Amino acid sequence: MIKVENVKKAFGQTTVLDGIDLTIEPGEVVSILGSSGSGKSTLIRCINGLEKLNGGQITVDEFDVGKPRELAEARKRSGTVFQLFNLYPHMTVLGNITLAPIEVLKKPRAEAEATALALLESVGLGSRADAYPAQLSGGQRQRVGICRALAMQPRYLLLDEVTSALDPEMTAEVLAILAKLAQEGTTMLFVTHEVEFARQISDRIVFLDKGRLLVDLPTQEFFAADGGMAQPRVAQFLSKMRKD
Amino acid sequence: MRFADFTAFDLVLLAQGLGVNIALFLATSLIGLVIGIAWAIVRYYRVPVLSEVITFVSELLKNSPVLVQLFLVFFGLPGLFHIRVAPVTAATITLSANTAAFIYVIAVSAIESIGRDQIEPARVFGLTRWQVLRHVLAPQAAAFAVGPLIALLVNQLQVTSLISVIGVVDLTKIGNILNMRTLKPFVVWTAVGLLYYAAAKLVALLGTRLENRLRAHSAWRGL
Repeated sequence: MIKVENVKKAFGQTTVLDGIDLTIEPGEVVSILGSSGSGKSTLIRCINGLEKLNGGQITVDEFDVGKPRELAEARKRSGTVFQLFNLYPHMTVLGNITLAPIEVLKKPRAEAEATALALLESVGLGSRADAYPAQLSGGQRQRVGICRALAMQPRYLLLDEVTSALDPEMTAEVLAILAKLAQEGTTMLFVTHEVEFARQISDRIVFLDKGRLLVDLPTQEFFAADGGMAQPRVAQFLSKMRKD
Repeated sequence: MRFADFTAFDLVLLAQGLGVNIALFLATSLIGLVIGIAWAIVRYYRVPVLSEVITFVSELLKNSPVLVQLFLVFFGLPGLFHIRVAPVTAATITLSANTAAFIYVIAVSAIESIGRDQIEPARVFGLTRWQVLRHVLAPQAAAFAVGPLIALLVNQLQVTSLISVIGVVDLTKIGNILNMRTLKPFVVWTAVGLLYYAAAKLVALLGTRLENRLRAHSAWRGL
């Protein structure tokens, strides 16, 4: 269980997260929606310990992200996929995926590579294991990014706008993989602008606005007229998104 | 044949002199590389006090003439500590320290040129700072640093000519002796210059090969 309690985060004078409470149970798929600058990405970066909190507490399976000793354990339980892929350009696809399993989980190389190849196969990139990131398309890179996170066998997958740097065609190929993962019961926290996709795969939808958690409802209720849509900010946001 | 003629045997003498320069160059480059990189690692870990001391020392070494440093080690240290410093020892100490200072700067800027976007994924997957340096930063920094590094080494090879001033019999010193014997400065110094040129060109050539290998698969190929 990921537990976010009254989390506050500011960059200088700018408050980005203003008292967020959120709980994610194992097996859940939770999407986070909200306008740019509402704090969605920052929330993910707080959960995986890339940002220090100004207040509140985040625990991943009881391990406090704010305590250096527990952070390592917390990080082992979550895997992050980045908006801009952030692959290592000097390593092959296989090297990108096996680095952390070999170095952190101390897996034998052969085992790590077998796992990586199986993962690559499952996302349709079995033949590109020896390619370098620069030789791949954006969609392929992000699929490698997903494999890199999955190779650590995380209990929670944190996805930070993983399709926002991709064109619609590449977006579709990445979303297809995420849909499959959701079906298989992977726990996911999914920051996105893909409203329709979020609606299809999420158990719950959370709406952030100016660093505050405005709505946290099961997907059906979120889109119901007397549920999330009753909030003017949500209705406004969704109507804008649909127009695009 | 007169004593004052420039003969083929003199070329052998010059080549031997060049050997001294190259040996000193290789030794001081290697020592400088090890020390400079060690300093950069200390800085990467932000070791308090030590990092500041290293930066200060490297500033001193970078911003004062090598010749002055050489005099300080060769004449200054013996005077201060009452020890004997052989010319070759003084040359090795000075050139190693000087090379280390520049390599430190190159290594630090190379490491800092690799963005947070590379460090962050490695950190969230649980790699330690050392593992991040070893597997993510160092290989990319090496590709970045190799260009400036080769330029530095080509220069340091030529700087080794300064050791003739404190009496090490190197290429320049032998050139000096031949010049006085033959009284043909144009011939002698042309030969000396060409030998330095050939050696420097060789360093540059080997460097380009290394550069191509390190950058073979990087995204910025062809820029």
